[in-house]
Amino acid sequence: MGAGEAGADPRAVPVLDIAGLNVSYPVYEEEAVRAVRDLDLSVRAGEIVGLVGESGSGKTTLARAVMGLLTQPGRIDGGSIRFDGKDMRALSESALRAVRGRDIAMVIPNPRSELDPLVPVGRQIAAVARAHLDVGRREADAMALAMLKAVHIPDPARRFKAFPHELSGGMAQRVVMAISLVCAPKFVISDDATSGLDVTVQAQVLDLLRGLVREHRTAMLFITRDIGITAHFCDRVAVIYGGEIVEIAETVRFFENPQHPYSVMLLAAFAHNPALRRKWHKPLASAEPAHGTACRYAPRCVHREAECDAHSPRLRERGARHFVRCHFPVERVG
Amino acid sequence: MRILRYIGRRSVFIGPQLFGIILVSFLLVKLIPGDPAVMMLGPFATEEQLAMLNAEMGLDGTIIEQFWIYLQNLVQGDLGTSWQTTKPVFDDLAVRFPATLELITLSLLLALGIGIPLGVAAAWFKRSIVKRFSDYYGLLAGALPDFWLGLILIYLFYTIMQVAPAPLGRIDFAVLPPPPLTNFLIVDSIAAGNWQALWSALGHLALPVVTLGVINAGPILKMTQATMERMLESDLIRYAEMCGLPKKTVIRKAFRNSLPSVVTIVSVLYGFLIGGAVLVEIVFSWGGAGQYAVQGVLNADINPVLGFVLFSAILSLIIYLAVDLIYFAIDPRIRG
Repeated sequence: MGAGEAGADPRAVPVLDIAGLNVSYPVYEEEAVRAVRDLDLSVRAGEIVGLVGESGSGKTTLARAVMGLLTQPGRIDGGSIRFDGKDMRALSESALRAVRGRDIAMVIPNPRSELDPLVPVGRQIAAVARAHLDVGRREADAMALAMLKAVHIPDPARRFKAFPHELSGGMAQRVVMAISLVCAPKFVISDDATSGLDVTVQAQVLDLLRGLVREHRTAMLFITRDIGITAHFCDRVAVIYGGEIVEIAETVRFFENPQHPYSVMLLAAFAHNPALRRKWHKPLASAEPAHGTACRYAPRCVHREAECDAHSPRLRERGARHFVRCHFPVERVG
Repeated sequence: MRILRYIGRRSVFIGPQLFGIILVSFLLVKLIPGDPAVMMLGPFATEEQLAMLNAEMGLDGTIIEQFWIYLQNLVQGDLGTSWQTTKPVFDDLAVRFPATLELITLSLLLALGIGIPLGVAAAWFKRSIVKRFSDYYGLLAGALPDFWLGLILIYLFYTIMQVAPAPLGRIDFAVLPPPPLTNFLIVDSIAAGNWQALWSALGHLALPVVTLGVINAGPILKMTQATMERMLESDLIRYAEMCGLPKKTVIRKAFRNSLPSVVTIVSVLYGFLIGGAVLVEIVFSWGGAGQYAVQGVLNADINPVLGFVLFSAILSLIIYLAVDLIYFAIDPRIRG
């Protein structure tokens, strides 16, 4: 388990500090959908924080909110996003444009549809460098070539001129990494970045990404649906359900002692133990998180009690830097 | 080279395609009721006179015989004679086709000049006055008949303000036209250094070009706007925004990726307008190809109609080839 290695100093000032963040999507003549609820999260320099959750749990909304790129009609209702000491919510559109790609970079999951099909990939890397750094065309091209080398693309000089459709999925994913890292950002968000790749390629790409991030002491928010990846990849793991962080802890601690029933369910799903899986999974439960004052996870929880339907639990500290949002934290998994 | 192979493969089919077009249009034109001999000789012609004229024109045989004669003449570059103008159809079309092409080419350039900037702006500024304006524009351009707009423009600029020349043809009667070279008046005037003719030709082009340009900007605007809107919502542009690329770069990227559909709509409009500009040609007494063909249809003058169909077919094939070449140039995925 590579969690602690070269991890961040817990006392360091966070690069990204999110406090009490609320994001909602208004719905016509109905109550707005609250996609992110009272979310606190901070990431320090050199730290990799995994954010695990299923589709619709608010992972991508969170990432977009940080970038200031919520899709219409989403809006931030409250809370703060501080990046590198700056209040991101107060920045103007042009100031945000300068931060995106320069200080906060995004690694995305479908390079085939997200890279420009009409522009050679080397040019696309160089374009980002030129947009943010004070470099000329030649210098930017040289940086792009160096990045292609850094992400281990074979024959980089030739690939520089290749178009996205001429590259394999793994190769295109490396190009996206090169784009995100070319300006040496302070913070990288990886949004389900490797979900489209074969398992073997995925492992290679992840190792490479982690190596590059560690080398530059870049902070990273690693968003994924695959809780298994986080064990090898992250310093801390946060589990998000229904827009709320339900559990967050250092990786070793999280995997040794998961305390939220949802975390345990996710882990059990990965365990090759049918009995364990059955124990933590409630069949035919509504996939919708609960509304109102109930615990969001209550409808799917195997330990649901009257209290869970009455009050939504708060995030409480259950050991060193280990927070759980549950009235009845899990004591024993097996 | 892939592109040469493509052109080669494409040109193999040109012959059969043209043959098919000629066959179908020959049969269709023959189905139009009307006897050219009756039209030519008038109501007091005798049966013998009619039979003689029909024999002279080769119209007494079966339809297959007639088609065979037409093909034989066609191979020698003879498209027959129009009994209305009494001139070879080829010579007539050599003047009239350039007249129409000059008109619709300039009109489409104007339409592009209006439609593309407006479409891009409407897609980018989603809740702006530009967007509302272009919505109404698209609606109006689709609803207004072009000949009506032509008449309004004539009334305003010729009758009332008297800044436009009379809507009678391509050049002032008082101006000596340049010697025919390409029969595109602008080109010929410049080639001959005849600036008076150039000025007069441009003056006569102004109103019909504005008429067709303003109306045909509608579909170009709609296509540009719709494609750009879709593009701006696409993963591609969302990613460009995440990379913090400058606004101008993002818009240019979206537009370059929308270009194929704009090229498509322009090529469709171009092919359509060869015949579709006829009402505007009539309003401005343009003497274009569409007008020529309609006269032929109305007077059972079959050769001009067939000649027009043939010329249009060849031109359409050229346009589609050009469009394919443009796709090749702008999209590396096709070039591959």
